[in-house]
Amino acid sequence: MSEVNITKTIDARGSYCPGPLMELVKAIKRGQIGDVYELLSSDNGSAKDVPEWVNKMGHELVYCREDGDFWRIAVKKTK
Amino acid sequence: MEQPKLSVILLSGELEKLQAGCLVSSVASMSGMEVNVFVTMEALKAFRKDVISAREFKTAGEVGREMLNKNVDLFYQLLENAKDMGNLKVYGCAMAMDLMEWKKEDLIDIFDDVIGVTAFLGKAAGSQVIVM
Repeated sequence: MSEVNITKTIDARGSYCPGPLMELVKAIKRGQIGDVYELLSSDNGSAKDVPEWVNKMGHELVYCREDGDFWRIAVKKTK
Repeated sequence: MEQPKLSVILLSGELEKLQAGCLVSSVASMSGMEVNVFVTMEALKAFRKDVISAREFKTAGEVGREMLNKNVDLFYQLLENAKDMGNLKVYGCAMAMDLMEWKKEDLIDIFDDVIGVTAFLGKAAGSQVIVM
């Protein structure tokens, strides 16, 4: 996998749906185009919901992978 | 393109229904929808300052009880967050307010207005509707 420059990691572990998504949306809303946000979530629903949201809003999913007992989901702000 | 619209009518004072209705509302607003939430009947009581500070919510069963035990953002917090991030408005029902002799100050500071059904129907025209 190619190197990704993470602008900021958002640790939303321990937060329940839709908390992790909400944290990500906040960051993306405040951020600049091209920023990459990595979300850490222990909520398994995030692995399905966040890519769905990213797709719907037209941003770019960089990766969505399991890391032990949580998920790492990176999203690039494209607009 | 016109922004897709969702209307959510909260009737029940049960935590599970309040939570589900507010969760859908908040995700819809984060996903670019215009969301109008109308709060009436027993649901309105759950938005009273005294009820929220005492966490005196009715629960239907164990899922609701677990929500209170764990550190979950509750329905009103979901709406507060959604208002910061998207196009979401919350309306209190004028009929219930009059009937119960409640004032806008009795409710948490999340309501855009207290309106009647006619006004809400105007805002809800052409939208998807969810009733909880």
